[in-house]
Amino acid sequence: MGRLIARRLLTAIPTLLAIIVLSFVLMRVAPGGPFDGERPLAPEVRAALEAAYGLDKSLPEQVWLYLTRLAQGDFGPSMVYRDFTVSGLIAEALPVSLLIGGCALLLASVLGISAGLWAALRAGKWQDEVLMLGATLLTALPTFVTGPLLALIFGLWLGWLPVSGQNDGGSWLVLPGVALGLPVTGAVAKLARAGLAGELGADHIRAARARGIAPLTILRRHALRPALVPVASYLGPAAAALLTGAVVIETVFGLPGLGRYFVQGALNRDYPLVLGVVTLYAGLIILFNLFADLIYGWLDPRMREG
Amino acid sequence: MSEGYVVRNLRVCVGDHVIVEDISFTLSPGEIVALAGASGAGKSMSAMTPFGLSAGVASGSARLDGIDMVGLPERELSRIRAEKVGFVFQQPLTALTPHRTVGQHLHEAATQAGGAKPTTDVMVAMLDAVGLSRPEERLAQYPHRLSGGERQRVLIAAALAHGPRYLVADEPVSALDAALRGEIMALLVRLCRERGMAMLLVSHDLAGIEHHADRLLLLDSGKVAESGSAKQIASSPATDYGRRLMAATPRLSEPLSPLPETGEVLLEVEGAHVHFPKPGWRRGRLDAVLDASLTLAKGETLALVGGSGSGKSTLGRAIAGLGPMASGTVRWQGELLPPRQRRSAEHRGLIQPVFQDPLASLDPRWTIADIIGEPLRWLAPDAERHRPAQDLLEEVGLPRDFASRKPASLSGGQAQRVAIARALSANPEMLLLDEATSALDPLVADGVVSLFGRLQRERGLSMLFITHDLALARRTAHRIAVMEAGRIVECGSREELFANPQAEATKRLIAASG
Repeated sequence: MGRLIARRLLTAIPTLLAIIVLSFVLMRVAPGGPFDGERPLAPEVRAALEAAYGLDKSLPEQVWLYLTRLAQGDFGPSMVYRDFTVSGLIAEALPVSLLIGGCALLLASVLGISAGLWAALRAGKWQDEVLMLGATLLTALPTFVTGPLLALIFGLWLGWLPVSGQNDGGSWLVLPGVALGLPVTGAVAKLARAGLAGELGADHIRAARARGIAPLTILRRHALRPALVPVASYLGPAAAALLTGAVVIETVFGLPGLGRYFVQGALNRDYPLVLGVVTLYAGLIILFNLFADLIYGWLDPRMREG
Repeated sequence: MSEGYVVRNLRVCVGDHVIVEDISFTLSPGEIVALAGASGAGKSMSAMTPFGLSAGVASGSARLDGIDMVGLPERELSRIRAEKVGFVFQQPLTALTPHRTVGQHLHEAATQAGGAKPTTDVMVAMLDAVGLSRPEERLAQYPHRLSGGERQRVLIAAALAHGPRYLVADEPVSALDAALRGEIMALLVRLCRERGMAMLLVSHDLAGIEHHADRLLLLDSGKVAESGSAKQIASSPATDYGRRLMAATPRLSEPLSPLPETGEVLLEVEGAHVHFPKPGWRRGRLDAVLDASLTLAKGETLALVGGSGSGKSTLGRAIAGLGPMASGTVRWQGELLPPRQRRSAEHRGLIQPVFQDPLASLDPRWTIADIIGEPLRWLAPDAERHRPAQDLLEEVGLPRDFASRKPASLSGGQAQRVAIARALSANPEMLLLDEATSALDPLVADGVVSLFGRLQRERGLSMLFITHDLALARRTAHRIAVMEAGRIVECGSREELFANPQAEATKRLIAASG
């Protein structure tokens, strides 16, 4: 267990490095730069700016400089939001994204898994069909449809929940969290249903039935853990994506999360900001995949080896 | 209350299909009754359906200690299973829950009928009774750590943990290695005799059960074809079906049938080594075949016999150029055959394989004519390919109009004949038969074995016959090579090998097949 974690964290370092270097180079290859605007800057001003941000150095030099700073925990200054550091921007936006994403994740795992299991126990009956149809609909509906729709119904018509910005209580979280979580809930429900329905036909379940074990005990003791393996493998990367901000949801609900920096940073060629967000995202993906692997190991001891 | 298990006029349907019709038998306390027959005869369905463990619906009556189980709700059936019956299934690899340890399985099994929680000592004794080595360590192990044979022992221990009066064993040994089958079957029978349990045994392997069962029912298409004492049916079956089944089952005791004459030596393999890198991070290699040498003459059959993992398939694949070979030489009529990729099309045509699972080795989207014609694809233009395909179908005993069908519409035996026709279309000198009959039903397998015999007589084919079944090897092969742990430990004519076995592995195999 400890060895697995250590090994995975060690292999994460070259992966992260490769991602950073690749994003760095790709971004520079793309035309345009942070100081290209409607009105061209005077050549002297531009040269001064580029020198200040180190853009006049060769590309390998810049990469090296960036990496050495990153090693000290410094993401550098933003090139577009003047006077802000990337670390500062992320520190301000990440908690909002984490909260929304966390809500979405909670909804997706609790509601998705229970709905999926419930449907699997009624496989082939009408309840199963209805539930799976609903799950398919949820996965198919994009958040820019469900988000405004939920805001319209629960915010404007019923007036139960705020539709924009943050407030002191937690109620501002509900609508964006739900809107973000619904498609994932649908996917999780389908995976959990397929997992359990497949598991219930397995030989070891028949062997347990042959021993006369009560159906609920069979479910809890023999079927549940193997049935959740596909859910775990999906939720790992999905969690990373949910927690690092969703630009559509943040825009619809007017929330200052991380997602918009991703988009705006890329559009503005704000190199340090994009790299900062990419690094964070990549790190979280690696971390959550490790979580997913640890959960696999718990679900199925065969995965603990190799 | 009348003791025993009494089945009268049992009928089993799945949907609208009648799978089992009008089967009656009695299992008295302490008795062993076997249900045997070809696959699809309804053996497992008749055994499992009354207990509520199949997809079928039973009618008629099945009284266990006086209680008719037909029509009982699942709750009551479940209680009867928990209290009175132990079950052993065919698939030891998958019948244990992967995330539960051996100890947890035994604990659950011992308490299934409300019995006392077993102490560690009791569980160790259970594992000891089924002959599992180092039982103390096993309790904390997960099933994937155990081999197939070990898992089947654990399953038997679990089936007995609550002290049942009845045991239902559905093909308990057919998924196991040949060398283990006899041992596990003997264990089951000994435990039944010692504990006075009655056993309902389902098996397609007549040779494996005829000495153990008290009574035998031969099922044919859901009906009882013949029933009576096992000894009597084995020695002199009364029905034609019984006679065919008995004749299809190879035995070491049967008289040797003549085999065709052989010619000059064609294939010479010398010092073949095959190894694979060990999986995982650590370097190392797994020696699959070590210094194997053999020869094969024209029109000769050489059987490669051994347990699973002995390297027999790997050696066969290396010879045919289908798998890697690290060192050693393969010569054909004195000419060196290069290792796999560098073998020319003509060289490849010389040795053609037939594999174990016929349906898995045929592309489901192709027609039979295309499958058989594939080796001819660049030897003959399209229009001319159709006729040889139909001729080949006829040669392997299939109707000519099969050419337009797809593999999914074939039975296992028909599919295997198509695979043989495909091998023949390359006009080979030698066939590599890798467990080519072991996935088939005894009657069907016997038909395919006779087809090999006919092809050998008519075409003068040489055959490398890879099998785990020593009795089958004795029936079909001129010479037998025994493999163990990657080495050929003994090789000789079938007469010599059985008259005077030298290697320990050979003696063990003979003992296990006897």
